[in-house]
Amino acid sequence: MLDGNASNDQPKPRVGLFVTCLVDAMRPSIGFAALALLEAAGCKVDIPPRQTCCGQPAYNSGASDATAPLAKLVIEAFESYDYLVTPSGSCAAMIKVHYPELFAHDPAWLPRAQALAARTHELLSFLVDIRGFRPRGVSCASTATYHDSCSGLRELGIEAQPRALLGAVEGLEMRALEGHDACCGFGGTFCVKYSSISNAIVGEKAANVTAAGADLLLGGDLGCLMNMAGKLHRGGASTRVYHAAEIIAGMGDGPAIGEAVKP
Amino acid sequence: MNNAKADIFAAIAKARPAKTKDAVAIAAQANELAAAMREFRPPAEGDDLVDLFMARASSEKVGASIERVDALGALPGAVARYSRANGLGTDFSLQPDAGLERLDWGAMKPSREIAPDTILAVGIARSGVAETGTLVFHSDPEAPTLFAFLPDHHIVAIEAQKIRRWLEDYAIAEIGTVAPRNVNLVTGASGTTDIEGVLVRGAHGPRSLHIVIIGNAC
Amino acid sequence: MSAPTGTFDERVAKALANPQLKIAMERTTGNARRKRAAAVEAWPHFNEARRIAAAIKDHVIDNYEHYLETFERNALASGAKVHWARDAQEACDIVVHLCLASGGKNVTRAKSMLGEEVGLPHALEAAGLHRVETDLAEHIIQLAGDPPSHIVWPAAHIAREEVAELFRRHHRDNSNSDDVPAMVASARRVLREEFMAADVGISGANFLVADTGAICTVTNEGNAELTTTLPRIHIVTAGIEKLVPSTEHALQLLRLLVRSATGADLTQYTTFHCGPKRVHDRDGPSEFHIVLVDNGRTRMLAEGQAEMLRCLRCGACMNHCVVYRQIGGHAYGGAYPGPMGSVLTPNLLGLAATRDLPSACTLNGQCRSVCPVDIPLPTLLRGWRDRSWREGLEPKKTRNFLGLWAFVAARPALYRLGITFALPIIRLFGSKGWIKRMPLADAWTSERDLIQPPARSFMAQYAAMKKGAKK
Repeated sequence: MLDGNASNDQPKPRVGLFVTCLVDAMRPSIGFAALALLEAAGCKVDIPPRQTCCGQPAYNSGASDATAPLAKLVIEAFESYDYLVTPSGSCAAMIKVHYPELFAHDPAWLPRAQALAARTHELLSFLVDIRGFRPRGVSCASTATYHDSCSGLRELGIEAQPRALLGAVEGLEMRALEGHDACCGFGGTFCVKYSSISNAIVGEKAANVTAAGADLLLGGDLGCLMNMAGKLHRGGASTRVYHAAEIIAGMGDGPAIGEAVKP
Repeated sequence: MNNAKADIFAAIAKARPAKTKDAVAIAAQANELAAAMREFRPPAEGDDLVDLFMARASSEKVGASIERVDALGALPGAVARYSRANGLGTDFSLQPDAGLERLDWGAMKPSREIAPDTILAVGIARSGVAETGTLVFHSDPEAPTLFAFLPDHHIVAIEAQKIRRWLEDYAIAEIGTVAPRNVNLVTGASGTTDIEGVLVRGAHGPRSLHIVIIGNAC
Repeated sequence: MSAPTGTFDERVAKALANPQLKIAMERTTGNARRKRAAAVEAWPHFNEARRIAAAIKDHVIDNYEHYLETFERNALASGAKVHWARDAQEACDIVVHLCLASGGKNVTRAKSMLGEEVGLPHALEAAGLHRVETDLAEHIIQLAGDPPSHIVWPAAHIAREEVAELFRRHHRDNSNSDDVPAMVASARRVLREEFMAADVGISGANFLVADTGAICTVTNEGNAELTTTLPRIHIVTAGIEKLVPSTEHALQLLRLLVRSATGADLTQYTTFHCGPKRVHDRDGPSEFHIVLVDNGRTRMLAEGQAEMLRCLRCGACMNHCVVYRQIGGHAYGGAYPGPMGSVLTPNLLGLAATRDLPSACTLNGQCRSVCPVDIPLPTLLRGWRDRSWREGLEPKKTRNFLGLWAFVAARPALYRLGITFALPIIRLFGSKGWIKRMPLADAWTSERDLIQPPARSFMAQYAAMKKGAKK
């Protein structure tokens, strides 16, 4: 098991891990990294089987009616846990910030949404802020640059925590990314609805990533990472892309995003 | 157009009915907010207001040139020096301020008129704001507005003791007085960055602002 | 504002195909971002001040009737005439009528985005008046026949060589130079003649000061004062949301507005105009008219968009918007571009014609974080998306896809089944980890590679792992 500075306090906090639809379908290793990190941080982790999507694509398209059933599923599946933790700033913000807005006029569901919101955390900020966790004996001898995904940064204030965790990875040298807090152009459905604008935005981002001159590009949201990795690869860049959780969990020796995945 | 006003007010009343019509209560709320804002101003420290004013007014962002003289009587000398240094000759427009008109202008030739092609004008500000390096003008018979806007070079005298620290200090001092037609807060020389973001002085107003601070604050 | 040409997609395609535009926009917005950042860094209490600024504006929004009455009373007492306009047409009619009644034909204008909003430039020309824009950028776009592309730098989309060419064609006695100072000097000469010949000067107002009945204009050029002091008549066009309680509040908000717009501490020329020429004044207009315009502001108040009325028109949101920076201002098809434009324009031109504006946004929130009055722009934009969906304005393809997604995702067992079949199928389109092309995914794969999904989802792998562990 991954080593960390977890205390042995009993009973262990019970965490429901919400893996997110993108991680589930496109990059399971992030889910396994999250699981390993939470256990190393002294949590008892469950993965409720009745989870699919937090409902962001519908919510951000203005389809609140279609969003509500998805939100209710999440609330029902996770409200019995001490915490809901998810390896995505945008999904965490959806549940934490927007579920209460969604149910603002629903007296039955609003208290349940607020209760879950209070116990919902993005993974990296949970490890640092709630568990005081740092990895031990994890190394990654590379240079890396970090992209701050917008929802996590601006809705949840996630900025110092990923850097604190990465700072504890031996041999990892962080390089500054010009425009590290500028949107990468993913924006959920935006990248397919307005693909030419999205392409122009991610083109600028890819140029900045390349200019940072680091081996690795890291971030906290798979959607952003897929967008940037896809653009970098199309342009022939050699930058390798991981979710920060994978590096912190010591899985940096596995394939990067887009590198051949064993079936 | 009485209908328009009535319709607009009706729409407001429907959309956002007023919680109170008590003008005193409303004013109190407004004042509380202004007072709160005064707790969070940008830094403008320093005991010496003249020093602060000079630092702000001569900063690159503002771009005025500044000198100090002991008394108003030294102003004509400062004007003559400025004119010689900039090759401007002896003709200039003088703001019809009685105090300025009484001065001995020596070889310089003041005119009471101002024209669109006036090269040099000399005036006196009513007060100053140190926080921003701003000169305050109120329009009146002895201070026509155009003197601050038509000339190419503008030399402005200001008494050191009339410099206040904050923008609010100016506003608060004016409460209860009759507002003039124009209050001009002038902070540096005219400029534009409209062509590719390149800063150029003298877009429409004066290209150069030279401030002559008179005396000491006390 | 003249009707935008083409569809949003067409205007975007045109903008993205123009590398000069990108260069010009980056010069303007990049400069603005850096200067703003320096100004904010030099003000440790900036965030607290922002919150109070929002509270000041909200206080006024809660008391519009009181402040409008107070403003009108004090303005009338100063000798001003106050006019009210419910919509754009009324506003233009009032201004045109006043101009024609003056007996003169020459009208100078200092920059007023409200004037753009109501279509005033077009109305003045249609009435046979000689309209001269005096703000340098507005002068440039008047010569070019272009609409503005930024609310602070309307000519942000025009490079210096184009300006030189315009001046060559339209200015008498110009030195034929590409040199920026020489071009500015040429404009100064040409516009001075127009200032002196004007019968009417029209300005906007950044603030309407209730307790004095004065209006406030801010410029760096000095054109507002030359526009409004020289002619016989000064007309102000202003939205009713420009109200503030007092001069003090106006100056406090200006601290935030100017830093957010240009990084300076205060504009070169901050002027409060109160009524017409006084008896012994040596200059000033004999008539001073204030046209107070609603044009959808009370509707915003009624329809849950009151926070938008806090807007100070600083332009910080568009300077920081990743979308605006790529597509420029004309793509928005209205007087106001960028995030604030995407909230305002559906209100002004109708949602059906403008639904792309709130939609073409990543909701990244940078705009809100730089707004000096903390307007919740992403929330307001999402609000338009809600309405667009409810009113059936979203394209069928989107409705169908999202409807299907939501249906399946609300049924975990069905979802699991779908994923189980979909992943291996999608994998077929790629090799060695990447998909270059795939039907239904052109929007992604035309410009980016798509990662190959795994053969089994996380939930499937995890379930198998647990089963294996149980044995």
